[in-house]
Amino acid sequence: MILEYFQMIDRIESLDPSAGTIRTHCQVPAESPVFVGHFPGFARLPGALMIETMAQTGGWLILAARRFASMPFLTRVESAKMRRFVEPGETLEGTASLTHDGSGYAVVEAAISTAGKKVASAEIRYAVGPFPNDTIRAAMIAKAREIGFAEEFLHVP
Amino acid sequence: MARRFNVRAGSLAAPGLRMLVPPHATRGCLMPSTFETVADIIADTCDIERDKITPESHAINDLGIDSLDFLDIAFATDKAFGIKMPLEQWTQDVNDGKVPTDEYFVLGNLCANIDKLVAAKSA
Repeated sequence: MILEYFQMIDRIESLDPSAGTIRTHCQVPAESPVFVGHFPGFARLPGALMIETMAQTGGWLILAARRFASMPFLTRVESAKMRRFVEPGETLEGTASLTHDGSGYAVVEAAISTAGKKVASAEIRYAVGPFPNDTIRAAMIAKAREIGFAEEFLHVP
Repeated sequence: MARRFNVRAGSLAAPGLRMLVPPHATRGCLMPSTFETVADIIADTCDIERDKITPESHAINDLGIDSLDFLDIAFATDKAFGIKMPLEQWTQDVNDGKVPTDEYFVLGNLCANIDKLVAAKSA
């Protein structure tokens, strides 16, 4: 994770778009400017970034399901729970399952865990539409390759 | 104008009439109409007074529903009826000038389209 760049997902551990499931690996950095302010003398991962981690995990799943033909944008976070603190240096596992694949929108149930214990969970909804431009689509595909996407999920057959 | 709105007959039956019809028909009387279900969803999702929502209401012009609320309405409607409203295709059709926006945003028309999707699913 590079928190200040909102790069929350380091690696795709497993991805099955047909089953609507994904697992991601997220290594919380030992140091980050974020921890300077959150909090002085008590560094903890902000809850907003836990939600962002879950949203990105689900987002990669939707991108794979749509084969990068369209892009999800976060629209709603429901029933979010932050169950415990996350300290610098912890390893997180992100999970998401697609609960509703609508037309123009999608819904996932997402969670992050550490050492088998759930840290946070939420229902996350996205508007799904055309990429705003070719630059962002190319950047997303390059990032997908970097974090371990199989080539078959990058393009519409 | 609700030119294509179909109210299910069962929803208009007075309680006293249930004694005159067989049990299977009575069950139908208790089912809310498509419009009633959709109107309840809109009222709940968008915090709009239920009485202000009519089959003639235009979702945007009359009720002020924005695109984000409409996605929430679509999600609740998809779940309520077990369908997948083809919002992307509908948007494309409107943008291409094939159909007027009233076809999908006037609630009576929207409900007629939902009825078609439900019928197609069970066919």
